[in-house]
Amino acid sequence: MIKRIWPIAAAVMTDSLRRKVVYVVLVFAALLVLAIPSLPDYGLGVEGAVFREVALALSYVTGLVIALSLAANRVPSELEKRTVYNVLSKGVSRWEYLVGTWLGVLGVMAGTIIAFTVIEMVVGYLTYGELMWRLWEGAFATWLEMGVISAFAVAVSSVTGPVVVVTATLAALFVGHSRSTLLGGEGALALQPFVPSLDAFNVVNPVAHGSGVPGIYMVSMLVVFFGLVGVCLSLGVLAFGRRDL
Amino acid sequence: MADAAIRVQGARKVYSMLGKPKREAVSDVSITVEPGTIHGLLGPNGAGKTTTLKMLLGLVRPSAGTFEVLGADSTHPSGRRSLGFLPEQPYFPVHLTARQAMRFYGSLAGVDAQGVREQTPKLLARVGLADAERTELSKFSRGMLQRLGIAQALLGDPVVVILDEPASGLDPVGQRDVRSLMLDLRAAGVTVLLSSHQLSEVEAVCDRVTILNRGVVAAEGDINVLLNVDGQSSVRASGMMSLPPRIAELAENVAVPGGVWVFSIPTQATRRVVDTIDEAGGTIIAVAPKRESLEDYFAALLASSDGEAPS
Repeated sequence: MIKRIWPIAAAVMTDSLRRKVVYVVLVFAALLVLAIPSLPDYGLGVEGAVFREVALALSYVTGLVIALSLAANRVPSELEKRTVYNVLSKGVSRWEYLVGTWLGVLGVMAGTIIAFTVIEMVVGYLTYGELMWRLWEGAFATWLEMGVISAFAVAVSSVTGPVVVVTATLAALFVGHSRSTLLGGEGALALQPFVPSLDAFNVVNPVAHGSGVPGIYMVSMLVVFFGLVGVCLSLGVLAFGRRDL
Repeated sequence: MADAAIRVQGARKVYSMLGKPKREAVSDVSITVEPGTIHGLLGPNGAGKTTTLKMLLGLVRPSAGTFEVLGADSTHPSGRRSLGFLPEQPYFPVHLTARQAMRFYGSLAGVDAQGVREQTPKLLARVGLADAERTELSKFSRGMLQRLGIAQALLGDPVVVILDEPASGLDPVGQRDVRSLMLDLRAAGVTVLLSSHQLSEVEAVCDRVTILNRGVVAAEGDINVLLNVDGQSSVRASGMMSLPPRIAELAENVAVPGGVWVFSIPTQATRRVVDTIDEAGGTIIAVAPKRESLEDYFAALLASSDGEAPS
């Protein structure tokens, strides 16, 4: 099983290395990180916190753009070019193909977020003389959320084209971060358990302004991650398995 | 051990989409491919060939029917692991080199790294791509991609190979090479299911053929039996300025290419015709059962309103 999933994931990662969008987004975001210290309303004593908060936001946006560009296109492109025929005829299951594709995107996200966090650490250290280790906690949470987003995008992309995938994923992102706003009224509170929330991955406050993310919270984030990814990919496999190629 | 290399029984596929009428692409197709043979799958566009192959390969969900490769259900991934497949007009990730592509598909086929390293140069040489191992696929011509498609289908020494239009995009030399390759595979005991529009290719290499038309099997059998014309023999003779009158009154489809008389006669008149040629001072080159060209057979089959095999 792993012998078939790994080559697919590796192919996604190798393919992403030649995609200009990854480098362009990374460079652009890095330039923005360099510009953070020049923000005009920097208050004395909170520079580090503001830097961390903006850096986390940039990490998030960078990750989202790259995750969407990779996860939304991969499967539709392989179906359109029929390269998937060669893969599935080798005895690869459709679920192995989808999971391999998702793992490849997850791998690229890991590399991207690690590279970006290193840049943030270096800029933070050179500017404030402080090694901001807590940024790694934020990076980990961002990576997990991007993993969920990628799983959703890969699942949707198994039955439709990139435009619909991007639209659906952004809608899911909005709903995932607006549960309390959308269903905060007394009449709608009972519906909350049915709406998955991505707020579990929002660690901006403890990373930027507090004392970091507790270990037990990290574990609970992992549980949410595996739960949501499992549901997304299961639905994707179900839909993809019924599709005529 | 399965008695058939490939067995398709009662295949049916109905495509249905919301708001559109149902479309039956395959109504009832059964195919049995004997081990170690080359079996041709023929039919006009829309006959159901590709859909049948896709159902066999698990790419399309059948509405009905069973699909087996070496006795295993080929709609399940595990049933396809001893199978090599060349899709029609194969596409590959173009940023890879030929060697990288072979490594990728080899790993999916379960061939270990050492095996891929050993097989890659041999297979690429076998399909005429020995010099292109390190060339990026974006620089490959249509024919080179086709050759690579054949090479990747043979990774892992599959026992059964399905080739969908293998000669498509190849020049005449390439087409000849593919024919030789298929004959080599058969000699090595590999079963080949060949879907092709090129009737000359099918006629040259196939042991048996199945002809599909409008989603059903229109004819199936040994290619020699299908093409032999009952009660007619073909005669080739030389050394005569004209056909003796006793032969001329019997002969049909007379042609004289390069001074050799070629004509067909009723089989029961063979003895008389041979004696007459002897008496006229001619030389018998060959007497054989009359064989229709596959093109003629195919055209007659498709022209018949009910799609039954021509008699």
